[in-house]
Amino acid sequence: MEVVTSPKCLTTSDADAACSTASIWQDVLAQAVTGELVAVLNYTSLAEIRQDPKEVADALEHAESERGHATAFTAEGKKLGIEVPNNVNAKYWKRLRSAFLRQIDARDFIGCLIIQEVMLESFAVASYKRVGQVAPGSLGTTFAAIAAEEEDHIDHAMTILRAARALDVQRFDDKVHELHVEVMGILAQMFAREDGDGHCELCHGSCVKQSLPVVGLSSSELRGASLQHYLRTLDLLGLPGEKTLAWATQLPV
Amino acid sequence: MPLDFALIAHQESWRAAADVLAVLRGPGRAPIPDDDLKDLFPWFPPRAVCHIDHRSVLGHSVHGIYIDSFIPPDRLGHEYRAENIGRVRDAAACAIKAGARIVSLGGFASILIEGDSDQLPQKGETVFTTGNTLTVAFVVQGVKKMCALKGRDLSAATLLIVGATGDVGSGCARCLAPLVDRVILNARNIDRLRSLGAELNAGGTAVDITTDLQQLSARADVVICVASLESPSLLLGCLGPNAIICDAGYPKNLSPLGVLEGCTVFFGGLGQSDAGMSFEPDIHRVLHHHPFPNVGQGCLMEGMALALEGRFEPYSRGRGFITPERVQEIEAIAARHGIHLAPLYNEQGSLEEAPCQTEGLVDERQIAGTSRAV
Repeated sequence: MEVVTSPKCLTTSDADAACSTASIWQDVLAQAVTGELVAVLNYTSLAEIRQDPKEVADALEHAESERGHATAFTAEGKKLGIEVPNNVNAKYWKRLRSAFLRQIDARDFIGCLIIQEVMLESFAVASYKRVGQVAPGSLGTTFAAIAAEEEDHIDHAMTILRAARALDVQRFDDKVHELHVEVMGILAQMFAREDGDGHCELCHGSCVKQSLPVVGLSSSELRGASLQHYLRTLDLLGLPGEKTLAWATQLPV
Repeated sequence: MPLDFALIAHQESWRAAADVLAVLRGPGRAPIPDDDLKDLFPWFPPRAVCHIDHRSVLGHSVHGIYIDSFIPPDRLGHEYRAENIGRVRDAAACAIKAGARIVSLGGFASILIEGDSDQLPQKGETVFTTGNTLTVAFVVQGVKKMCALKGRDLSAATLLIVGATGDVGSGCARCLAPLVDRVILNARNIDRLRSLGAELNAGGTAVDITTDLQQLSARADVVICVASLESPSLLLGCLGPNAIICDAGYPKNLSPLGVLEGCTVFFGGLGQSDAGMSFEPDIHRVLHHHPFPNVGQGCLMEGMALALEGRFEPYSRGRGFITPERVQEIEAIAARHGIHLAPLYNEQGSLEEAPCQTEGLVDERQIAGTSRAV
């Protein structure tokens, strides 16, 4: 994984501020870019199991949109003189991708949407929003803008998921729970206070979580905000709040 | 199943919060470490934590939910007021969405309808009560009972009310003023103190008012502490010998260890249900860390009593409307369904001669310093 230790800080004071914390932003951007690339792969896989031309086109459009996000994040890194690495085979991201592929193998469209749109996007939207609030200059603007776009993705999927739930509430909720245990379990480990499983295989040095307060973030805030967004999304789907609360408390810490 | 009532409250200590989450987490999982608990807890959106069935001695029962607003126990201060109002509004919206016919607002939650403006979300058919009238009833009953247990003549007593101008404090003042020799009112707002003092004085009661908690405390024989004190020693250290102190605040934090020998501290405002309550999931013992079964805060019991009575109305609303007549009425409603004053106790255990040795008995060590509500 390439590490940039001498970012080329050039013009504005915002850029100066970002440059002084470049190694932190490098890790933050690396997670964001990798997440977006995993989303590209997921939507592309989704397109392959759909028959309806419109649904195929939708999935490919989403894939293209996520690719655009990855490009935008990479470009923000370049503005700071940072080469943003990515690694879709990094420990947690690989497990998340594998979980998604199991739904693809089962040709379970709803399962795919639950993972990508409800779980992964909840974490993306909430995290990007927080980063967007503190990141300087165009870096912050880009995170905030992409958070808003990702929210649109969720809105699109909610209609499909609500309709699916209406057909068989128990079956739908059981499916969400099954995926919650696997996927949210991985995300909970990824966002945990400490890396119990060792290096995430994406940060360029030691775990970035301990350094986040330097840029006005904290891992606990990102984890909490993401979990809150996820629970609110499940509320919108109509899942009983007491049930999803219990699920959330049962996640690994 | 139709929802007769909802209770909105919050945990009064991190230990209580940990206990609730431990139950939800299930027996096979290690407890959430303290640091993680404090990280995660504030982010939980308000939502139902359990379902409750409350039975009446008349034979019927009502069904409801307990909604936690997830206000962090260490964020009850004024600087978090706006944030906490937001949480309680979200909790109220949960109750409305769930179709609850009446909602009791416990602890901080009562602020939604206690202030000058109604901050509730769009209500539909749901009505809200602070539950303060039944709290006042149980505080007043508790004071009378403790005086009787200690052989004290209430009519000769000087009564100090700390937090006197709030809804519960002023309600207690109106009920007890005619029964005591003198009343000392303490609060932060001098204008409200003057107004309440004048009202009681017009009824023939000798009244002193003070914004300085320590100024007149030594004269008090009986103290009702409605406000949770940040520094309990400011009060307890000034009281004379043999004072009777009712801790009616939330969280309750007055310890008998902090008072002179001869003084008695007891927890006030608590009721007990004869016919009982059941919880699903069963967090009864977590929510009710009392040395007696089926005990809960009067404010929450009020909503359940009104539901059992079929009176879905905003019984306690706003500040300063609690009168002795309203207190008597809610007492009668509650009593009809087997809800009455809980046995008196403090953090060291029962203060009555024959503590109730029933299934719900909790080891006294478990409640030390952490009695909690619903």
